[in-house]
Amino acid sequence: MKGLGLALIVGGWMVAIGGLVASEATMVRLAASLAGLATSLAGIAALNGAHLENAVWKARGR
Amino acid sequence: MLKERRSLAVAPRTAVALAVLGLVALAAPAGAAEEAPALPLTSADLKGISTPSADDLAKGDPGGTLTGTAADIVMTDPKAGLTLADVVNQVGQNRIAINFVWTLVAGFLVMFMQAGFALVETGLCRAKNANHTMMMNFMVYGFGLFAYWVMGFAIQQGGSAGISNLGGMNPLNNEFKLSLFGKDWGLFGTRGFFLSGDTYDVAVMVLFLFQMVFMDTATTIVTGAAAERWKFAAFAISTFFLGAITYPLFGNWAWGGGWLSQLGVNFKLGHGYCDFAGSGVVHSVGGLTALAVAMIVGPRIGKYNRDGSPNAMPGHDITMVLLGCFILAFGWFGFNPGSTLGASGNGSLRIGSIAVNTMLAGCTGSFGALLYMWIRFGKPDASMSGNGLLAGLVAITAPSGFVNTVGATIIGFAAGVLVCLSVEFLERVMKIDDPVGATSVHGTCGLFGVLCVGLFADGTSNYGGSWNGVDGSVTGLFYGDPGQFVAQLIGVCTLVGVIFTLSYVFNALIDVFVGQRVSADVELEGLDLPEMGALGYPEFQLVTPGLGRSIEIGG
Repeated sequence: MKGLGLALIVGGWMVAIGGLVASEATMVRLAASLAGLATSLAGIAALNGAHLENAVWKARGR
Repeated sequence: MLKERRSLAVAPRTAVALAVLGLVALAAPAGAAEEAPALPLTSADLKGISTPSADDLAKGDPGGTLTGTAADIVMTDPKAGLTLADVVNQVGQNRIAINFVWTLVAGFLVMFMQAGFALVETGLCRAKNANHTMMMNFMVYGFGLFAYWVMGFAIQQGGSAGISNLGGMNPLNNEFKLSLFGKDWGLFGTRGFFLSGDTYDVAVMVLFLFQMVFMDTATTIVTGAAAERWKFAAFAISTFFLGAITYPLFGNWAWGGGWLSQLGVNFKLGHGYCDFAGSGVVHSVGGLTALAVAMIVGPRIGKYNRDGSPNAMPGHDITMVLLGCFILAFGWFGFNPGSTLGASGNGSLRIGSIAVNTMLAGCTGSFGALLYMWIRFGKPDASMSGNGLLAGLVAITAPSGFVNTVGATIIGFAAGVLVCLSVEFLERVMKIDDPVGATSVHGTCGLFGVLCVGLFADGTSNYGGSWNGVDGSVTGLFYGDPGQFVAQLIGVCTLVGVIFTLSYVFNALIDVFVGQRVSADVELEGLDLPEMGALGYPEFQLVTPGLGRSIEIGG
């Protein structure tokens, strides 16, 4: 789960850079950047979810 | 930061001489200029300039009219008397001296922000962790400085020659680049390790000091998010890495001539990634690292109930918090206006506008947060008003040199509201425990500030005629340049996609080999005694409400 999160985070950046080099159209680059940012943020959410699986407040007696 | 001024750095003395002659020509009556061509100033003209006599000076100068005359210009050869070359060289040195002093004093102000951060973070933590929290804020200065001197500065600025406001910076002249897709992608500098060799240079020292205190600001952001459960040893290693690698890398890409700053030259995206004083370079890097560390160390014991609902864990000294906020707001006048790296030449007189923008955004930020909290919870919350002030300041940091006062006001107010929303989202939805709201203040609002450059830059700034090697003024989407907004968006993607990942992976490794979090017993007792060996408040009885644990020391 952590690996998936990290892959999404880095993958989002690669989408943004891919749009930059693939097209000179501003709208295409804008769309790629927004899609990349959304992907990276989803990755952060996934990574955080993996950490919360063992959160201290879920442990018995805490 | 002023970058890519290579063309203006060429033959500065010639430029100054031309400027002097131009001023002389302008001072002549318009009619006279039509009748006869203006004669160039010569050394002979300087011989007749009268200067105060020794007798006059011996009587003192209460009116200030005798001090600072031609007699104070340093002559190369006193026997030959004052020459035009002496005057012109003095003008050039005065400009650089003004810029040196301005940049150094601004750097001193930024250094004092460490005190503000220390007060804010310690005040927002519980009394049983006061010593530990204060010590983390104190020692980031030392750990960060050492890392930055060893290698951080070289990575960030080692290829950034061309800052004419500081005299050219020629020793910093080698950037490591990759050639991909037919473009050069600058990755890191290679000059200036240990400030040795040719970088033993007065201008390089000024730049180092100024950049070092910026880096230190980024490192101190992290200590707030991980406070009250972070092992001191892990903190020390993490801070060293941030100061040596993570921060300098992004600093190079944005300010050191790296690939983000060249998005305008290489990909026709406005002026490339623009970050005047560091909403991205300083605050987002610090805020995203804070997020990574907060995830790894996890929430404090008692922050969340078994059902996941959060508990309030108020800090122990709100007066400390608000005093810290005031100190930070004061220091920010070094942060933003100081980022012109000068007060003379290349449009640096815009420092007045930058200072006012900074002031406005901070004030409207606190107003926005206060209003949000008052409407939502029925009370004007003090700590969130303080965070709103900081949020406004963080958000205006990148755009401060490019926007007008209306833009600054809107940016500040929006950031004040945004920080409240972000704090609630992180705490309730993401269940990330950030005792001081560092991720929201610096991460969320830092990224917002980066985007605001691409929206609100009004196209009136003129820092020597170009920015990041692209002629003209930085102009945002609302003023007609969508490409600038895309450049800013790519900067945000890089911060989230690369810098966060780098910080996360390294801190995860620290967690594996050293351990990031103290034991539950240490956390419940408070970190002061177990981690630091001394309590912050040894004569008080410290009680943690709701946990049934207390420490009674002294009396």
